[in-house]
Amino acid sequence: MTAEHPALALHGLVKRFDAKVAVAGVDLTVPAGSFYGLLGPNGAGKTTTLSMAVGLLRPDAGGARVLGHDVWADPVRAKQLLGVMPDGVRLFDRLSGAELLAYHGLLRGMDPAVVSQRAAELLDVLALADAGRTLVVDYSAGMKKKIGLACALLHGPRLLVLDEPFEAVDPVSAALIRDILGRYVAGGGTVVFSSHVMEVVERLCSHVAILADGAIKRVGTLDEVRGEQTLEQVFVTVVGGRTATGEELAWLSR
Amino acid sequence: MAVAVTEAVADVGAGRRVSARHFVRLKLRVMGNNFRGQGWRIGLFALGAFAGLWFAAFGLFLFAVPGLAGNDQYATLLAAFGGGLVVLGWLLLPLIFFGVDETLDPARFALLPLPRRTLVTGLFAAALVSVPAVAVLLAASGLILTAGIFGGWSAALTQAVGVLAGLLLCVAGARAVTSAFATMLRSRRVRDLAAVLLAGAAALIAPVQLAAAAALQDADWDRLAEVAAVVGWTPFGAPWTIGIEVAQGRVWAAPVKLLITAVTVVALLAWWSRSLESAMVGTTSSSRASTRPRATGTAVTQLFPRLLGWLPRGRFGALVAREARYWWRDARRRANLITLAVVGLFVPVMLNLGGAGDTGGGALDTSSPVLVTLSMVFVGVLAAATLANQFGFDGSAYAAHVVVGVPGAVELRARMAAFSLYLLPLVLIISGVLALLVLGQPGWIGLTAGSLLATFGAGLAVNTLLSVLGAYSLPETSNPFALNSGAGVARSFLAVLSMLASAVAVIPMVVAAALLGDVWLWLALPIGAAYGLGAALLGAYLAGDVLDRRQPELLATITPRR
Repeated sequence: MTAEHPALALHGLVKRFDAKVAVAGVDLTVPAGSFYGLLGPNGAGKTTTLSMAVGLLRPDAGGARVLGHDVWADPVRAKQLLGVMPDGVRLFDRLSGAELLAYHGLLRGMDPAVVSQRAAELLDVLALADAGRTLVVDYSAGMKKKIGLACALLHGPRLLVLDEPFEAVDPVSAALIRDILGRYVAGGGTVVFSSHVMEVVERLCSHVAILADGAIKRVGTLDEVRGEQTLEQVFVTVVGGRTATGEELAWLSR
Repeated sequence: MAVAVTEAVADVGAGRRVSARHFVRLKLRVMGNNFRGQGWRIGLFALGAFAGLWFAAFGLFLFAVPGLAGNDQYATLLAAFGGGLVVLGWLLLPLIFFGVDETLDPARFALLPLPRRTLVTGLFAAALVSVPAVAVLLAASGLILTAGIFGGWSAALTQAVGVLAGLLLCVAGARAVTSAFATMLRSRRVRDLAAVLLAGAAALIAPVQLAAAAALQDADWDRLAEVAAVVGWTPFGAPWTIGIEVAQGRVWAAPVKLLITAVTVVALLAWWSRSLESAMVGTTSSSRASTRPRATGTAVTQLFPRLLGWLPRGRFGALVAREARYWWRDARRRANLITLAVVGLFVPVMLNLGGAGDTGGGALDTSSPVLVTLSMVFVGVLAAATLANQFGFDGSAYAAHVVVGVPGAVELRARMAAFSLYLLPLVLIISGVLALLVLGQPGWIGLTAGSLLATFGAGLAVNTLLSVLGAYSLPETSNPFALNSGAGVARSFLAVLSMLASAVAVIPMVVAAALLGDVWLWLALPIGAAYGLGAALLGAYLAGDVLDRRQPELLATITPRR
């Protein structure tokens, strides 16, 4: 079944907030087994697009399918196959790491024994076991990202959607997360993640889409999008905007 | 960081002096921007303003009665007690119901080089710009009218100054109390504080009971007037009685009473400014306090509190366990729980003592089943109203439930169950205390508990539906009493709505108490419990269906705008 359906298919997604159009008709097909990077400057609509893709935000028009299951018409099946780490969203952070993982697992209807065993492994691998009973609210930013990733991975989803997984993460943790995601894709999973860090995307992704002003500007495999240039050059050309200062701000160098 | 704020150097940069005017303008601007493109917010604000004006007109009339009637005998009485009630209301109501409007969150000013005095006066001035403050000002003008009729222009003018001072007192008191209470609740030692508060409330009951009984037994107007004269010399009554003092020829009293008020206001502001400091430095100092002991047991056993080990290890159980932990770990929820416990014990005891004293007999056989039922209805309604914005407590964390797709009915049943874990013991205590200690009628425990359970259950049903349909976002600050601007009106409006609806839902219990007589003493408990349970389950079923269809919309309304 996974062979015939793309892991994630978005068609005609539109979202308006008041008068502002945040996402203006996004179509995207994420093949199963790909490592997909969604690039875009701040305010491009990355978070809004991903929120609509996973059922957190109802689109004004268009739809999303996870491995063939419509997120809005058949949410139960779609959400079982899906692991999500939203950005800028709080966790239930007055639980400890272990408690939070157990909570997520049981909410998903998993067997308690399996939950406990996987939670222990995840905490170990992500170097969160030392935190003991520290509440997640007292975690550092990087630790919060890691426990969020653990929550998304716990039930063994077929598609991972991660919003800014590498933001505020130190290099060691970032390497760890890259390794985990690499293994996950090698094992047949699909990852979609948003970022504006070019190096990470160039290093990891098999496919790239560049989003700006609520619309997809470039899409394809990494090599197709990049062509002869570096990804950063392509990105800046597509997005536009200035990259150097002129005469202004002279007072900064006093 | 704290040092940088308090001893800020005002001469960095080409600094123009920051005055209270800037804060007021900032608040008005923020309020205006919040309204932008949000028609329902404007509507709510208009509704709140209208309600405020209505109450103000009512108060104006009440305070003006002695003047209009031309009888100055009871003018002091009305001014002292009426004004005192207003001050008391400003002190207590923000803690219990309304919260304080934190349009200007003090924490946002932490990095600005502002002397603390400027900050406090600025925030204070901004706090004066609100509907309730205007309403109080209007209502208290009745006092000016009264003073003017008896004492001419000079008395009226003095009273006008007094009214302004009284308003400052009210606002300063409200800010100081909520801020101090918030600071206390933020500390992890608050578990002890809760116990102390409860004990304190219980200890207060006895003397207040004696005083109230004595006052009501010989409800003699002249005695009351003497009490009023005394109250007039406390900060509660001082600002409101200045005009009448002048009118009655005691001109020397006016500056003294003004001084009393001014000293109180300054003391309150000083107290506020101290707790402001900790609010601004905030969570960083308190959160990393202790290294926690290493975890023991598997992840799943850790999630479930030891007392709740019997819960099923599934969706429902996990939800209940998490909610139960949150009612204690989340300062905002804990604040609700503690005030609920204090008020829930206090009010019925006071109500029934009053009822007993009124008829003049011993306390044993005078309170009627109807009165007992009514006071229990009050507690039940108040308890359930705590859940009116239960999803707002979660904020954006609720996204986890949307991602998983938790069935609405399961979620709501679990939330009710977890809240009941705290509330049912409290219900038992309240009904036990009321029946045994206050009424001296052990046989009435069924009546008290039954009425309370019925109201609580019906209230849960109403408030659950309300929490799905009328949710609003709470600001992500460390002050558990903070509200977004405009949310204050929404919150009071929803609270009143939910209380009315739940009160209507238990009318059968009150009617039965009135009609059935002694038989009802025995039937009240089983029938009340069954009624409450049935109503709660029906509410969860109906509201769950609604929740299933609008999960993303609910998430959007409770996510704070950034």
